[in-house]
Amino acid sequence: MNIRKGMAGTLALLLTTSMLAACSSNGGTDAPAASPGSTAATQEGKLDPVTLKIMIPGDRPRDFDAVIAEAEKRMADSLNVKLDVVFVPFADLAQKTQVTLSSGEPIDLIFDAPWLHITQQIAAGSYAQLDDLLQQYGPNILKNRPQEMWDANKFDDKIMAIPNGVTFVQGRVYYVRKDLREQLGIAPIETYDDLIKFAYAVKENMPDIVPLLPSGQDVSKGLSEGAYRRYWKENVDNVMPSPVLPESLVLYTKNNDGKIYNLFEEMEPSVWSWIENSRKLYQDQIISQDVLAIKELLEPAKQGRVAIIPSNEFGVGTDTQQALKSVNPEAEFEAVTFMNEEKGAILTNALQYNFISVPAVSKNKERAIQFLDWANQKENYDLLAYGIEGTNWEAVGDNQYKVLGDGYAWFPYAWIWNPTLDRQDAAQDEETSRLDAWSADVGNFTMDVLAGFTFDSAPVVNEISQYVSIEAKYYTAIFNGVVDPDDYWNRFKAEAAPLAKKIQTELQSQIDAFLVSR
Amino acid sequence: MGFIRELTKNRQLYALAIPGIIFLALFSYIPMVGHLIAFQRFQPVKGIWGSDWSGLANFEFFFGGQDWLRVTFNTVYLNALFLVFGIGAALLLAIFINEAGSVLLRKLSQSLIFLPYFISWLVVSLMMLAFMSSDGLLNDWLGRLGLEGVNWYQNAKLWPFILTVVYVWKFSGYYSIIFMAAIVGISNDYYESARIDGATRLQQIVYITIPSIRSVIVVLTLLGVGRIFFGDFGMIYGIIGDNSILYPTTDVIDTYSFRALRQLGNFGMSSAVVVYQSIMGLATILLFNRLARRIDPDSKLF
Repeated sequence: MNIRKGMAGTLALLLTTSMLAACSSNGGTDAPAASPGSTAATQEGKLDPVTLKIMIPGDRPRDFDAVIAEAEKRMADSLNVKLDVVFVPFADLAQKTQVTLSSGEPIDLIFDAPWLHITQQIAAGSYAQLDDLLQQYGPNILKNRPQEMWDANKFDDKIMAIPNGVTFVQGRVYYVRKDLREQLGIAPIETYDDLIKFAYAVKENMPDIVPLLPSGQDVSKGLSEGAYRRYWKENVDNVMPSPVLPESLVLYTKNNDGKIYNLFEEMEPSVWSWIENSRKLYQDQIISQDVLAIKELLEPAKQGRVAIIPSNEFGVGTDTQQALKSVNPEAEFEAVTFMNEEKGAILTNALQYNFISVPAVSKNKERAIQFLDWANQKENYDLLAYGIEGTNWEAVGDNQYKVLGDGYAWFPYAWIWNPTLDRQDAAQDEETSRLDAWSADVGNFTMDVLAGFTFDSAPVVNEISQYVSIEAKYYTAIFNGVVDPDDYWNRFKAEAAPLAKKIQTELQSQIDAFLVSR
Repeated sequence: MGFIRELTKNRQLYALAIPGIIFLALFSYIPMVGHLIAFQRFQPVKGIWGSDWSGLANFEFFFGGQDWLRVTFNTVYLNALFLVFGIGAALLLAIFINEAGSVLLRKLSQSLIFLPYFISWLVVSLMMLAFMSSDGLLNDWLGRLGLEGVNWYQNAKLWPFILTVVYVWKFSGYYSIIFMAAIVGISNDYYESARIDGATRLQQIVYITIPSIRSVIVVLTLLGVGRIFFGDFGMIYGIIGDNSILYPTTDVIDTYSFRALRQLGNFGMSSAVVVYQSIMGLATILLFNRLARRIDPDSKLF
């Protein structure tokens, strides 16, 4: 008995000492960061040396060190910045960045995005406000992005992160196997009906090829066949997901009227027709029977086993095309889109998909912005975006470039991408270049009345997490036609309708307040 | 005071335990403070001691719906299947390999069955997809036998069985090594005298081998029972992923809360789920330990 008590005592002692140790080592990490990080200039405009720690997604390009060495050389006499760039693979991005931010690790620039956790991190106070810093140190950063982009990408009217993007709508296409289409003697695909006819022809004549493979994964449910239809011309009412759950059509907006509609209260006829069409395609075995089990659409596509897949960008990705050709030299993907290119037909909220932020814990906030501003000057942008000229790329005219070798993969979206300095890949086909230019001009689109609105999820956080987990049980199965739509929709509704209603009410009241303030 | 005397007297022996105690404290006891987050509106910037307390609000999302009963049942049911069949198969394997006459055969089979343990769940899931997709190998074979193909990935009822088979395939080799180590430790005298008395091989297994390693079996089972409320996230999410058709039988607490919270990234709510799992796990292990003590006092854990 005595011994036990004593053991507990030592354990407690051990616990406290190690906790203390943990605390003091925590304090210790702050010490080096307190070294000269201020902008106090020494003689000749040269600043004190500072190493900026930058965390961005992707894989480290092979020639990255050479590029960084060149950048540091160019900055040596002015900014005097050394760069410590950490690349985080996409699979670990959410966790790694979240842990980094919540542990208070000293990072000076970090990637974030609406599809990652930017609103949560801003709500949690992880990022510094940038308005004043940009005014003072970032004229080129400001100048390179149109005012619409700044206005729409503020959070509560404050700039909390720098948007990195060039387009106002994201490209949506189907990759179509051109070789199979020609083999079947089918003319180039112009409409959705053409596409489905092609799919049926594949089904009939090529038993080894899956005609259509949409996404069945919950994280990319926007690529479910039924939901993907909203991007095409036939969606004349502009049915779009609400700002609260940006991929789900259950709570949705239409006609740009600032109202939130709810599919559980009244089924939108067009959405239901998309669901029923998917059901037919699934039952006719046009949609892959294993659509829910396949995690990565591109894998079977690269192996040449699929005729049609949806994709989130104009044009066909070079690596996909190359991988497909290495399996079968005859095979080729072409990208077709049915988006409405009429001026003003499509809404844009101008919200960008990639941002870079300055964490609140950074001791080098001014220098971080100064560095980005330096990187937003043309010749420096060219260096960081495309690599060493002559080795990794060569210029074609003023706004195009040609890739040389594979030493420097393209990743400016992670930190500096902007419409002013972006160069188009000269190897791209004309149609893709035309569509890219179209999507980069804000004048082609109508502004969404909800542009700039951010939803504060705190009042309904329980409802959202419950709703999301219920939706995950049904959404992709229903929108890919895997299950009977009537039966499953009723089950979905029975479980989720009260939650959706609460979220809708809260969202509408926040939107009303936002619209009044405008 | 007796304690201090004991400590000074055997200090060299106790010193051996220090690294283990430090490890436990660092990785098991200190992190327990994190359980407090479950009762807070946790904000990383403010830290554990600065965040506001919120009572049981974080538990609402989990217990507010109807799914928590289903996922809790699935977790316990699947883990029970894994435990029973995993340990059962490992025991059989260990005995069979041990009985095998040729040393070469023994070494070879030992390595081969251990191999799946090193294959990551992601690779396993790709292998399964190639094997069981609607135009996969398995349906191909069934077709050749003149049988109708099965839509494996659309049929939730089959999956507790499929997952158990996969689990046994992956882990029984690993557990069988532990059993084999225990079997090797059994004194040969028992077997010799049994043989003299005319015991058959089967009788030797049933009356000597299994009773001798009973405590190892019980300890492994008890350790498994303690984690029965923790689903194997890597396995279930790797294999099932977002395939909602299979959720009715395969969704476990860990995958459920991962999906519910992956967009919100809410620390408090995820901690609430962990607190629930830990408390239930503690309760089960206490219960089973008491059972073990009643049936066979020698094999209890504590």
